[in-house]
Amino acid sequence: MARVHLRYYALLREQAGRQAETVETAAQTPEALYAELATRHGFRLAQSQLKVAVNASFTDWTCALADGDEVVFIPPVAGG
Amino acid sequence: MNAFEFTHEPIEPAALSAALADPAAGGFAAFEGRVRNQNDGRVVSRLEYEAFEELAQGEGERIVAEALRRHGALRARCVHRLGALAVGEVAVWVGVAAAHRAEAFAACRQIIDEIKHRLPIWKKEHFADGDSGWVNCTHCAEAARVPDFDYSRQLVLPEIGTAGQQRLAQSTVIVIGAGGLGCAVLSGLAGAGIGTIVIVDDDVVDPANLHRQPLYTPDDVGRQKAGAAAARLAAYNPTIRLRPMPVRLTAANAKEIVVLGDVVVDCSDNFATKFLVNDAAVLSGRPAVLASVYQYEGQLQVVRADARGSCLRCQWPEATRDGLVGNCTESGVLPPVPAVLGSLQAMEVLKLLLDLPGQLRDEVLLVDLLELGQRRLSAPRARECNDRCARIRSVDAAAPTPELEIALPLAEAAAQGYRIIDIRNPEECAQSPLALGGHESIPLPRLLDAASTLDPRLRYLLVCAHGIRSRAAAEQLRAGGSGNVWSLQGGLARQG
Repeated sequence: MARVHLRYYALLREQAGRQAETVETAAQTPEALYAELATRHGFRLAQSQLKVAVNASFTDWTCALADGDEVVFIPPVAGG
Repeated sequence: MNAFEFTHEPIEPAALSAALADPAAGGFAAFEGRVRNQNDGRVVSRLEYEAFEELAQGEGERIVAEALRRHGALRARCVHRLGALAVGEVAVWVGVAAAHRAEAFAACRQIIDEIKHRLPIWKKEHFADGDSGWVNCTHCAEAARVPDFDYSRQLVLPEIGTAGQQRLAQSTVIVIGAGGLGCAVLSGLAGAGIGTIVIVDDDVVDPANLHRQPLYTPDDVGRQKAGAAAARLAAYNPTIRLRPMPVRLTAANAKEIVVLGDVVVDCSDNFATKFLVNDAAVLSGRPAVLASVYQYEGQLQVVRADARGSCLRCQWPEATRDGLVGNCTESGVLPPVPAVLGSLQAMEVLKLLLDLPGQLRDEVLLVDLLELGQRRLSAPRARECNDRCARIRSVDAAAPTPELEIALPLAEAAAQGYRIIDIRNPEECAQSPLALGGHESIPLPRLLDAASTLDPRLRYLLVCAHGIRSRAAAEQLRAGGSGNVWSLQGGLARQG
């Protein structure tokens, strides 16, 4: 189990009802973690519409997560 | 007869001269500006003139009146042609009748010079080799008058000084979108003394824009934003040039607009335009400063067209579709949010032009104004784009999907056999139910998940409040292989 810090933006913040949280997860990758959180929070955006950053760097959905990582799922926004 | 006029018809100098006949005039001078067959050594085959008429009309009349007054001439008139012109045709005509030749010559010269300097007119040159481009009237900047606009408070900054100020005065910045972000960007750049600012926006001012778009007043409602913003900024800082372009940025014009500037700033409110700006900037070798806002948050990115830098497509390789995430209309926005993000964009533009340190490079800045947090995320270039971007295709080719949208009264669409699907969420449906029998109600996310259940033998018409989400959904479904899906243009709002 890894302990990861999460931050939510835009639509995800609204759907999660919070800006940040820390979770214990068995997920090994951001992909698995998002699937887990999508079920828990009812996220309606598909993973393909999002980007993920781990420790302040955009990364692949299949990179390995480590204990203490900060993970940010970023939805696209277009308002002007 | 107006002292200044635009015309789409060929100019006939003889008739215009005759109309200025005056028994008290001992002198008459006329000037004809004609289409030349070459520019900068390239052969020109034809020209197109475009003007922002609303703004140019009044300014043109002022120019003629000023020349009459200053030189004591009797009568004067100027006519400017618009549209497509062949080589040799008269593009602009000026005629002045005065008591003596000296006043006639002087007033005529003043009118044509001021017309060239002050009127928002562009010319698109078509070259014999098939190429074409909009021409920026660069020689005009040198003739700028010297009104009371004092840059001393920024000249004292050691990084700027006279050399930096001069660099700003010689720069041209293209701003795509004159909404919430655009108003902040434009104010910041106009104040800093960017020599030429091109404002591209085809929208008109709506009362719902005013709270976050302080370049407009209630009197501007219904006016084109490009012209209204240009007029406001021209009054604010008379030392700079404003070029309103009341057109929509499309695949057909994106590159030729972007190359007019040293930097392009994306202040649009939709993904289609953002990708277009990104692609045109990368292909044209111009840096682009992009921003978007959502409720209390924003994202900022600076794209550089060098062989190492990352662009919007490194982060979002699939062209993200409008309508699947919220915009200001649907999700709401507070005025300071686009103001902050727009100011950050203006700052990045100045940093780029002045070569200041700390520029965003291969990064995305996330700003959250509720928690006052910001994150600077590293966003490297996509791996497959070693020397050349592998993700941008040409921006000229993209033709709109034929007939994605249908503009019909719903009852008629149903009568024509379309299966109507209301894709709004349940709360919206409850608030304003669709008064139509026989339709289905399937909220957007559920519809996208259930695409395989659509019957390929039927034709489906998707409807939502404004036609934005339904268009995005129809695009997505078509991309997934369902060719039998259409979107109701303008949504229920346009059904009346």
